[in-house]
Amino acid sequence: MKSAVLSFDALQEAAEKLPDGRLAASRRAALEHLREHGLPTTRNEDWKYTDLTSIVDIGNQSLERDAPRSRSQELERRIESIRSAIEADWLIIANGLIDDQSLSAFDNTQVSVTRRSESDDAIEFGAPLSDLNTALLHDGLCIHIDANAGLRRPIGVLFIDDATTAPGMSQARVEIAMADNSDASIIEYHASLGSAKHYANSLIKLVLGSNSRSNYVRIQERSRHHNQTGRLSVEVGRDSAFNHCAFDLGGGLIRNDLTVDIAEPGSRTAFDGLYLIGDRQHVDNHTRADHRVGPAESQQEYRGILTGHARGVWNGKAIVHVGADGTDAAQANHNLLLSDKAEIDAKPELEIYADDVKCSHGTTIGQLDETALFYLRTRGLSKHEAKQVLTRAFAQSIVSKSPIVAIHDVLSAMIAGRLSDLMQGAEL
Amino acid sequence: MLQIDNLKASIGDTEILRGVSLDVSAGEVHAIMGPNGSGKSTLAQVIAGHDDYRVTSGSVTFNGRNLLDLEPEERAREGIFLGFQYPVEIPGVNNAYLLKAAVNAKRKHQGLAEIDAFEFLKLAKEKMAVLSMDPKFLNRGVNEGFSGGEKKRNEILQMAMLEPTLAILDETDSGLDIDALRAVAEGVNALRSPDRAIVLVTHYQRLLDYVEPDHVHVLSEGKIARSGDKSLALELEEKGYDWVREAANG
Repeated sequence: MKSAVLSFDALQEAAEKLPDGRLAASRRAALEHLREHGLPTTRNEDWKYTDLTSIVDIGNQSLERDAPRSRSQELERRIESIRSAIEADWLIIANGLIDDQSLSAFDNTQVSVTRRSESDDAIEFGAPLSDLNTALLHDGLCIHIDANAGLRRPIGVLFIDDATTAPGMSQARVEIAMADNSDASIIEYHASLGSAKHYANSLIKLVLGSNSRSNYVRIQERSRHHNQTGRLSVEVGRDSAFNHCAFDLGGGLIRNDLTVDIAEPGSRTAFDGLYLIGDRQHVDNHTRADHRVGPAESQQEYRGILTGHARGVWNGKAIVHVGADGTDAAQANHNLLLSDKAEIDAKPELEIYADDVKCSHGTTIGQLDETALFYLRTRGLSKHEAKQVLTRAFAQSIVSKSPIVAIHDVLSAMIAGRLSDLMQGAEL
Repeated sequence: MLQIDNLKASIGDTEILRGVSLDVSAGEVHAIMGPNGSGKSTLAQVIAGHDDYRVTSGSVTFNGRNLLDLEPEERAREGIFLGFQYPVEIPGVNNAYLLKAAVNAKRKHQGLAEIDAFEFLKLAKEKMAVLSMDPKFLNRGVNEGFSGGEKKRNEILQMAMLEPTLAILDETDSGLDIDALRAVAEGVNALRSPDRAIVLVTHYQRLLDYVEPDHVHVLSEGKIARSGDKSLALELEEKGYDWVREAANG
């Protein structure tokens, strides 16, 4: 079995080149912690299907040279096109560096945005990839949303990387705190350009105060050469609502970890997602809801459409801890396999240590419904059109659940484009 | 218009149609009756082009063309409509979208431009009024959560929009209450014209009180056992299907 071995000396050297300041001590500590524990291998149950070896190789290669500091014209154009497609107050992290201009232009009286390096708080240890993030973090963003704030426009955070000439690696970190009674929509957008390999590692923390609500959409449309590991850790407060929807439309090897910690009663969490993958793409979604108290709700539905030699992994875990009575947790994962070479590993996991709970899970893996195909063809649609219509409908059900209604049209268009690409190669 | 000659068809190793011959001319309404398992639905599905059924011999000609050479969608664009016994629920596909796609597929085939959005809506609402359907059904998923009667009305709506040359309605009357039956019958009668033909596949005589057929055929064990005019349907209602089977075998 291959194992992922990072070059720690190169890592240390790279870390030492980063700007000195309040983050330096956290970086050093994280590096030591990482050196001690190493990155997970496929022997680790949580990483059984996702092998980080290729990512580590890219990381090691990128450490041999300095990270790019200038931005290409093409990158600027790409940023502009995303900004104009989706109306939001955008913050930009390009090649792991905070975009100063977007930071100074950010203008919302109910929100304050600062750099992580301005904070005195050390960054705690975490999972190995979180430690890697800390060890090489140039700087992070802290977004604070005031109590009682009701944001009219979403806050968008764009993570974009440009690996045009040589393999690259980037770390990005965003901490979002929503004070009590606040209401904000957040868009997490991952994009890339360039034909060289890249590895992006992002970490986002979101804390929802009492009675607050966050509508959260993550869009990942990286190129096939770009790999990504991303973690979103959410703490939901009393009577809060977290509505999340994720769209994985691109990327080479992608691993998303989403954890929701429910330590106060009365919250409702919905986390849904859609992955549309083909070729040799690999997309792994691991979710985990910790119900520590009740009553609280967590509902999730992920859907996947896979063609070519694509590999999908979905692992949804709900843990109902002792005393979390009144928990209502449901998990669903539905997959459409449009090629016999595509593969999905779907695993729902419920661990229940409380008595008065309502929990359910279900997964399906299948092909398009032949009866529905015939029905559409008898109405004059060609076989190809009928397949497209049914596939789009399968995906559309997640779009319509997506909590930021203003971007439904943009999402639908992106998905339609992606599906038509995927289905060109599918056996039709 | 439609000539079926000694048609035999199987599903797997089971032969279901064992030599069906039938001539349908423009302007006519035919009723095909018969007990469960006699092959009525199979005949409808074979004409529409379902590939679960294998045609082993015989021919089906539609307006001079060999129908069996055509894909289901080509048959539809040529003017054949099959009303399903069990209309399929397709969540996420909007009813209006399907209607429009179906109408445009046919128009494209005829070399016509796509239907104007305003024109489409106006036409759909007119047809829905005849069927006592709420226009809200346009914005729902195709048959999604529809009652049995609503699904059948929706089939008739599709038929009305597509204005087929040959409509085959497979047990469209089954499971309908009297109001739905009347609405469906009205939809069918509205389509009757000298240029079109309608084939009603039905188990019961009930629908024929509202849509008067020119010819009635009884299908039994994969063959047409008896043909006649509308009085045959009444005779069947009275004497039951065993009578036909006995007469055919005896």
